[in-house]
Amino acid sequence: MSQNKLMRTDRLLIMIAALLFAGISLVTIFIDTTPSWKIYQKEFREVASEIVNQEDLAKIPRGLQQIWVEELDRVDRCTTCHQGIFWPGFERAPQPFTTHPDRELFEDHPVEEYGCSICHGGQGYAVDRHGAHGFVKHWEEPLLAGAVAADYNLNDKNAMIEINCNVCHRYERETDGMPYINHAKDLIQEKACWGCHVINEKGGTIGPDLTSMGERHAEGYDWSNFSGFRSSFNWHMLHFDEPTSVIPTTVMPKMGLQTKDRHALSMLMLSWRDENMPVQYIPGFEQEEILLPLETQRREELLTGDGAFFIDKGCFGCHSIQAYNIQSPTDKGPDLTFAVDDVHVRFRQSLQEFIFDPSQSGTMSIIFSSKVILTDEEKWELIDILTRANHSYKSQQSNSGNH
Amino acid sequence: MQLIRSLINQISWPWRPESNREAGDAVVKSFLHHWFPHRVSLRSMSWGYSFWLGTITAALFFILCVTGVILMFFYVPSVERAYWSIKDIEYVISFGALLRSLHRITAHLMVALVFLHMFRVFFTNAYKNGSHPASGRRFNWVLGVVLLVVTLLLSFTGYLLPWDQLAYWAITVGTSIASAVPVVGESTREFILGGTIIGQNTLIRFYVLHVFFLPLVAALAMIWHFWRIRKDGGLAVIERVKEETPPVEKNDITGAGSKSYALMGVASGTSVHIVERQKLTTENSVSSSPDMVRRIIIVLFLTVMVSTVLSIITHAPLEGLANPSVTPNPAKAPWYFLGLQELVGYSAFVGGVLIPGLVVLGLMLIPWVDRSGGKIGHWPTEKSEKKWLALGGLAGLALTCLAVFIGVNFPSRELLGNIFEHQFWFDLLNPASGLQIAFILWFFLVRKLTRSTRTASLSLFTAFVVAFIVLTIIGTWLRGPNWDFFWPWQIIPVTPVIY
Repeated sequence: MSQNKLMRTDRLLIMIAALLFAGISLVTIFIDTTPSWKIYQKEFREVASEIVNQEDLAKIPRGLQQIWVEELDRVDRCTTCHQGIFWPGFERAPQPFTTHPDRELFEDHPVEEYGCSICHGGQGYAVDRHGAHGFVKHWEEPLLAGAVAADYNLNDKNAMIEINCNVCHRYERETDGMPYINHAKDLIQEKACWGCHVINEKGGTIGPDLTSMGERHAEGYDWSNFSGFRSSFNWHMLHFDEPTSVIPTTVMPKMGLQTKDRHALSMLMLSWRDENMPVQYIPGFEQEEILLPLETQRREELLTGDGAFFIDKGCFGCHSIQAYNIQSPTDKGPDLTFAVDDVHVRFRQSLQEFIFDPSQSGTMSIIFSSKVILTDEEKWELIDILTRANHSYKSQQSNSGNH
Repeated sequence: MQLIRSLINQISWPWRPESNREAGDAVVKSFLHHWFPHRVSLRSMSWGYSFWLGTITAALFFILCVTGVILMFFYVPSVERAYWSIKDIEYVISFGALLRSLHRITAHLMVALVFLHMFRVFFTNAYKNGSHPASGRRFNWVLGVVLLVVTLLLSFTGYLLPWDQLAYWAITVGTSIASAVPVVGESTREFILGGTIIGQNTLIRFYVLHVFFLPLVAALAMIWHFWRIRKDGGLAVIERVKEETPPVEKNDITGAGSKSYALMGVASGTSVHIVERQKLTTENSVSSSPDMVRRIIIVLFLTVMVSTVLSIITHAPLEGLANPSVTPNPAKAPWYFLGLQELVGYSAFVGGVLIPGLVVLGLMLIPWVDRSGGKIGHWPTEKSEKKWLALGGLAGLALTCLAVFIGVNFPSRELLGNIFEHQFWFDLLNPASGLQIAFILWFFLVRKLTRSTRTASLSLFTAFVVAFIVLTIIGTWLRGPNWDFFWPWQIIPVTPVIY
């Protein structure tokens, strides 16, 4: 090759290379700037323009949306495309723009504390349809919606979502809106499964412990005698139908379960997961300090006894009331057992006058006008209680004096 | 038209020094000309001689550095965040998916290209010193082997970073090979992992190695590697140019060629590249600027383009989050280690330690084993060389297939389990050891028959290349769950799913 020829071909080559390079750069820019979610957002505006007014239309957010629930360590970008979820009026709009069919659920499950995928499944990080719905390789929690239900001939297309509900609601016997899981829990009691299996950490030991059944990895099942689609759910479906067809040596009896029963039980099995949910997400769990028996009794007395008024209004912070066995932590003020007499002695007023106009006492006029504001009704109640306290104390004294 | 013409001129690197003086000035002023000689032979420029494999490798390294640095802004090297930061890169960071895919594909390409480049250098007999005593091609070959190892380590350390099942178990398999080293194996593995299991310590170790230490070593070794080429007078094909041009009078050399470095005084004697320069005329060479610089830009452009197209077509995989309690079946090492993993199946010590150790050592020693002169800078041309090259390939294919056949059908542990108890015997008597011994014997057989070390080396090297390819193919496509052997037409059982 001569020098000139080399130069000519190379100059041509560099032009071609530069053009190809520019071309491929444009392609990558095109791919990156036209994600499917932008198309959905544009479509949503078109759909919304027929439903909402101009003012609301301007409020529709643009760009990637995400709900980050720090407590659950979840990031859900579903609302990037499902923009109509919180807006009434889109009930008839096509997916992904439809209003959430059960917006009442948000009252107990505020979306900023739960996100979406914790209940629905799917891949919250993804922003393309297949990725987000989790129907991709290596994503093990697909959207528990129609497609999965159809795979197992479930007529109710939203039933599968109950699996995720029961991750938190597992210790509840009955839960509204979870017919399949409720039915499965009925069956557990009806068939007394706990006779052979440990369930929720209690039960017999003939069969395996089922407490963490939902944690078992798909590869951890015995597939050696299994024909058919290999999924954990399907394994349970066939196993509940005829246990020996899946594990020939098993002693588990055939229960004569209907298809609906098997659906319900298979869902229950997969819902028994060991997910580390923060305690406030578990229904029925209340954070409570545990008192000594005597302390519980004492607290009960204070809160419900004759002197409950003084606890409720905070009077005992400064005043003891001997008559009701109330000891003030500070004793800043006089014992209210003697208030009826005290008021007479100190302010030359009747108790009634003092309670309705405490200006004679600097401290009490501040307290009654700022910290403890009583209605007239409560004032009469207070006068009554104080009078009774005095009487009961005096009668106690005279009783003990008589002895 | 004038504008377009001048634009084309600018893009296609127009500067051409008119004299040695102008070129010399440029060396002082311009960084590029510190790297490149003034003139480059047309033979070096030929596509068909080197296929520009080294340049492509360097271009890939460049792409890896650029994409890698950008990815560092988004990746979090912690066990809790690593996987999810990759998800963010994949889904919401502008060009994130492309960058990651590009980084991955160029990493694989770089491993492949480093091998191909090495094959080319070996087959063209380019690791030998030419007529000039000061040349150091043998050392540059060793530098090349070091770069091969560093490239593999770079790829291997990067493999763990996504913290998915693929990463976790590939590194588990890869590092467990280290345990096969006698005596210090366990502690070596512990040192690599920073503990007894793969965890946060391992991740941060691999991360620092991957983004700082190994790239630094690679960059320094590459600079040395390139500089060495220049000091050796260019690619080895220059030896052919020397054969073709008439000898130059000694007086001419000293007169015209000495070189002065302003602050260091006059360099004594003549160096290789000054002698070689005399052979380069306007007939058999081109000026490095613009012709070689332009060529490098072309290669860089095309490399970027091809990698980008490949990275759009093949999406970088991301499996489930790393889970130490769920072992994928089978767990496979990165593809370039699958040949070794196949051999590790027969004996962890032989396949994982002895053979790779011997291969690296053997590669480094090649220039000293094969000291015959031969035709430097030639692809094999002689009939006997070609014959033994082909026979070497066939022998490699036959021996490797035989070894795998024995390994699959007659596992030494089943066959000899009743006779021996000690691990030593299984390490000694297994297909991997057999293959290794057969290859060594093949070398001596060919050398005896042809009385040529070069021909024997060629034949052995070809056998080695074929064995590497065959074992990698078997490991990649023909091994399924439990490392069982599956023909392509046999159905590999699918992994079960939850729903």
